[in-house]
Amino acid sequence: MVKIVDAPEGVEGHGFFATSLDKVIGMARANSLWPLPFATSCCGIEFMATMGSNYDLGRFGSERLSFSPRQADLLMVMGTIAKKMGPVLKQVYDQMAEPKWVIAVGACASSGGIFDTYSVLQGIDKIIPVDVYVPGCPPRPEQIIEGVMKIQELAKHESLRRRNSDEYKKMLESYNIETI
Amino acid sequence: MSQLDTHNHGNFVSTETIDGEIATLNLGPTHPATHGVFQNVMKVDGERILSSEPTIGYIHRAFEKLAERRPYNQITPITDRLNYCSSPINNMGWHMTVEKLAGIHVPKKVDYMRVIIMELARISDHLVCNSVIGVDTGALTGFTYVFQEREKIYEMFEEVCGARLTTNIGRIGGFEREFSPVFFSKLKKFLKEFPGKYQEFDDLLTRNRIFMDRVIGAGPITPEKAIGYGFTGPNLRAAGVDYDVRVMNPYSSYEDFDFTIPIGKDGDTYDRFIVRQEEIKQSFYIIQQPLDAMPEGLFHACTCFLPSCQGRGIQQHGSLNLSL
Amino acid sequence: MSAQEINNASVLEALAAEFGELIINSDEPYGFLTIEIPAEKNTAIIQWLKEHPTIKMNFLTDLCGVHFPDNKGKEIGVVYHLHSWTNNFRMRIKCFVAAATPEVPTLITLFDAANWMERETFDFYGIQFVGHPDLRRILNMDEMDYHPLLKQYALEDETRDDKDDRFFGR
Repeated sequence: MVKIVDAPEGVEGHGFFATSLDKVIGMARANSLWPLPFATSCCGIEFMATMGSNYDLGRFGSERLSFSPRQADLLMVMGTIAKKMGPVLKQVYDQMAEPKWVIAVGACASSGGIFDTYSVLQGIDKIIPVDVYVPGCPPRPEQIIEGVMKIQELAKHESLRRRNSDEYKKMLESYNIETI
Repeated sequence: MSQLDTHNHGNFVSTETIDGEIATLNLGPTHPATHGVFQNVMKVDGERILSSEPTIGYIHRAFEKLAERRPYNQITPITDRLNYCSSPINNMGWHMTVEKLAGIHVPKKVDYMRVIIMELARISDHLVCNSVIGVDTGALTGFTYVFQEREKIYEMFEEVCGARLTTNIGRIGGFEREFSPVFFSKLKKFLKEFPGKYQEFDDLLTRNRIFMDRVIGAGPITPEKAIGYGFTGPNLRAAGVDYDVRVMNPYSSYEDFDFTIPIGKDGDTYDRFIVRQEEIKQSFYIIQQPLDAMPEGLFHACTCFLPSCQGRGIQQHGSLNLSL
Repeated sequence: MSAQEINNASVLEALAAEFGELIINSDEPYGFLTIEIPAEKNTAIIQWLKEHPTIKMNFLTDLCGVHFPDNKGKEIGVVYHLHSWTNNFRMRIKCFVAAATPEVPTLITLFDAANWMERETFDFYGIQFVGHPDLRRILNMDEMDYHPLLKQYALEDETRDDKDDRFFGR
């Protein structure tokens, strides 16, 4: 069954349809998120299951994995991020073009999980801003999909000016991420 | 070329060049083909890799130090995460180590139950390896086929322990409960359907001309080198060494079962693929044997306490040789 | 020894005949032959075991460190697990050094696998493998200034301030 997304609210008449640009762009973005799978460990295997035919992330317009940060919209951090990996993750985030979203999948990415140790970063939100946290060790594919759907909601309703706002810039500066 | 050789002790070095033009290429730590995290700084001449300097440790999680302070039964969840493609094998390896240390003898039934779970885990692990090598060489279809089969294995694990991937399956001394009738019906259904699905996957890749061209002769290793570098498991067998710990040092009653050890010839990527494909078949063949001959008895050992032992278990675990 | 079966007693006997006093002590926990040797003789003894015509310890299963802070003068240990595939015989070799001078000769000349294992042991315990061509940290960051598996260091990162002890029952 082919399911097409509903059109945003707007004024419809014979031969025309009017709505705000925000809504159209939000709809387009939300349904064509290109994820960058930053899969380091166990959660990455569950992500593979999510991409597989039983769960099929492609139903949400995210089947096109982008391994290049330049082309990706959604950074999915799945698995333990060791301190050695931290700078690499930050660089990948830096290289992504705006607008960009981040999901921390699993306990390790969200908080360090059971690995409260000298070598593990206690949550990726220490180095980059995170939009959605998915709990679980590892989360089930359904949970990962729900995380992606939450990002879709965010993308759908985000104001086009948000990324230029002072608040957003301040937030990035608090992470020592350069703003243009 | 001598410059390249000097700082590369123990790393792969070839001294032949085609036209003498050498480029340095950084691969990883986040590269689609590294699966997990691993950095390689390579000197390449065209498409030939002359030398590489690998860096690991991007996912160092300090298992050793974590395990130092935990009671033995709390270490099981950590072993899940050692090789998360086949957590049950790690779990059982750990259980058996502690049982040996504490002098616990498990009933035959536990051994047989473990073999079923371990061989299912081996199948699911090899399916990941072999389908992903397909993805890396440009064939996504096989991946989508076999991941459906993996889901079925996950469902069986869920039936036994409640989790899919990080299973924490069983206990030191056996299992926490009997396998349920649902598990057996799912297993029987799986055993019936799997060969057909496996054949479909096999047909897609094994004799596929494009796939063969891309993997035959890629990354070969000689038996001597493989042993010197401490290879075990399918990678070693692909190099032509018929060493399998299930036969050399049978654990969990593997000596009761009949199976063949596939070995390769050249130790290249294709041989590794073929050995894994064949091992999936063998695992499938093994599972049926304990299932048919499941002994009566308890699903756990009868013991009430662990004697206090100094932390030698941890060192023991290091040498455990979890060959997957 | 050719006609003789390879077992704990026969290997120990052969070792004692060849090296005598160098075998400091021996034990068989759970039927696993374990000997202790002086650190500076490890290469010679392991090479002899590897090249012996019948014992043939051809495989280095594991190489790891241990730290016993109370064992004065022998705080740091290196444990080798050897396996002979032709005889299907395993043994464990231990050598201990003082924490002040943790120096052990490298095994790289005998087994390629020792390269990364020794780097890991250096990373964790700070053991200097004399003769290792590339003794750098392998798992931890190069910037790390201590060897984390030594017992005096805590498991958790001591610089962190994010986890409130009230929530973790500490």
